[in-house]
Amino acid sequence: MTLALPLALRRSLVFAWLLLLLLLALVLGVALGAVALSPGEVVRALLGWEENPIVTQLRLPRVLGGMLVGAALGVAGAAFQGLFRNPLADPYLMGSASGAAFAVTLFAALLGGLSPAFAQHAVFQHLPLSATFFGFLGALLATLLTLVLAGGVARTHELVLAGVVVGSVLTGATTYLMMQDADRVRAVFAYTLGNLAFLGWPSVRALALIFLLALPPLLLLGRALNALQLGEETARSLGLPLEALKLTLLLSASLLTAGAVAQAGIIGFVGLVAPHALRRLLGEDYRLLLPASALGGAVLLALADLLARTLTRPAELPVGVVTTLLGGPFFLYLMWRRRGWA
Amino acid sequence: MRRVLAFLSVLLALALAFPLTVTDDLGRTVTLKAPPKRIVTMLPSVTETVCALGACDRIVATDDYSDWPESVKRLPKAGGLYNPNPELIVSLKPDLVLVSKYGRLYETLERAGLTVYAVRTETYEDIFKTVRALGRLLGLSSEAERLVAQIQKEVYGEEARAAKAKGRPRVYYEIDPTPYTVGPESFIGVLIAKARGVNIVPKELGLFPKISPEFVLEKNPEVIVATYPGALETIRKRPGWDRIAAVRQGRICVYTGGEDNLLSRPGPRVAQGLRLLVDCFHRP
Repeated sequence: MTLALPLALRRSLVFAWLLLLLLLALVLGVALGAVALSPGEVVRALLGWEENPIVTQLRLPRVLGGMLVGAALGVAGAAFQGLFRNPLADPYLMGSASGAAFAVTLFAALLGGLSPAFAQHAVFQHLPLSATFFGFLGALLATLLTLVLAGGVARTHELVLAGVVVGSVLTGATTYLMMQDADRVRAVFAYTLGNLAFLGWPSVRALALIFLLALPPLLLLGRALNALQLGEETARSLGLPLEALKLTLLLSASLLTAGAVAQAGIIGFVGLVAPHALRRLLGEDYRLLLPASALGGAVLLALADLLARTLTRPAELPVGVVTTLLGGPFFLYLMWRRRGWA
Repeated sequence: MRRVLAFLSVLLALALAFPLTVTDDLGRTVTLKAPPKRIVTMLPSVTETVCALGACDRIVATDDYSDWPESVKRLPKAGGLYNPNPELIVSLKPDLVLVSKYGRLYETLERAGLTVYAVRTETYEDIFKTVRALGRLLGLSSEAERLVAQIQKEVYGEEARAAKAKGRPRVYYEIDPTPYTVGPESFIGVLIAKARGVNIVPKELGLFPKISPEFVLEKNPEVIVATYPGALETIRKRPGWDRIAAVRQGRICVYTGGEDNLLSRPGPRVAQGLRLLVDCFHRP
């Protein structure tokens, strides 16, 4: 139905919808939780009239932090897809998230003096900001390794294969490190399925800082990504400094991935599904697709976490289970729709 | 003369008891031709029970985690639930292997021609069921009855101590920082009740639920017990948790480095674990 509308109007509508959904996710996220609070109680707590740490210290930072993690994964996914001209590229498929997870785990193990009790650092504790830096290096190195193994960006098939191999090897190494703490296998699995339970204001601040660093270059590079979609030769003939552009994209997307992984563990499908869904609505224009994927990822993860913490309340589901259960079928639906139209 | 007769009757009873056919906790039929003399135990609580029955010298290897009594630390280690070492077990030629009912280790060992008995030790009642079952397997039934009585006596002693305390504090028990906790029907949940604490987790959530942090904040426990390293700092630093009574009043009990095993292993040392909880809940 929206297809019949003029392009500009349709695009504005998509963004209006995204903002509306984001607002809805924020309101629902703060209003609902394991503990039943009346709307009045929530509002009074937010306005500071009444002290209620459940709202101000737990729910609000958790919802905002979850949105930032989702936005990071969404925009990184869109950037990877544009950079590699590959619709399957996302922080997970490119080995980037696995690299970040491995580096963060290694960092935690080193902090614990390689003692088996490393879970105290790794699993949803307040990792120092330096963990994100380690994760960033890991994400970057893993992506570069994928590129080298694939023999460059242009070879799509090799790229996906190399990404899967690098990701699997690094995930294996991460699991090995984590299994050293066999008493806490539960916590380890929770990490690999993502956990937003203890996202507090420090996490929100850390994520916001990463966004300030990584988002502006990505948003500025939308036009360059558009040119890149026409092929490297064409992009070069337009006078674009390709290598510098690609490096900037890679650095920014890796930083966002690392920030998300360091704060929330490994959460699949957000970086894949958000850009895909929005590409169908907005077309291949990365100037729009990048900010829209950030918004879409934020909405997706905030709603997934809302389900994760309310479906079985006062118990919680791992948020990665929810994103995978929602994202998998949705992705299949998108593929099916596309095939149906082709 | 009477002693000799008694001794002979025990021998006779043993001779009649074997070959022994029993059903293990997987419902498998297990036959022992004679009392086993070379035992491999693949569960820490089972190792403890075998030793408490006085048969520690019959153990030839254990899993990686068995660490009590001290003497078993020197034995060959045959891996854990996730990474067992069946080749080592077979090479030791045991006449009985005691394994967890989880995992498929028993299939491999059975194919290698070994006698395998699968044990479930999860609940408080399992402790006594396991003591009696192992007593029968090892030809130590009267020792088993004595051990059951002794464990029960120790437990009652702790329960009596807890009953003297005035209050029943609200308790939150954290087994890892995800956070996972324990339901009232889990082994630890039963110990919490015996120590006269009130678990804040309702039984509907199951044995080991991943709990919402805001739920813990709302229930405002007076005592927090945690069994992983670094728990004290971790719990204090959590957003909003400085409002919880247990955190404000410094009533966080952390048990690690062996003490946690007293609480997590349903075995003969259960009363020692219970003692930790009683001391923690009813601090003078």
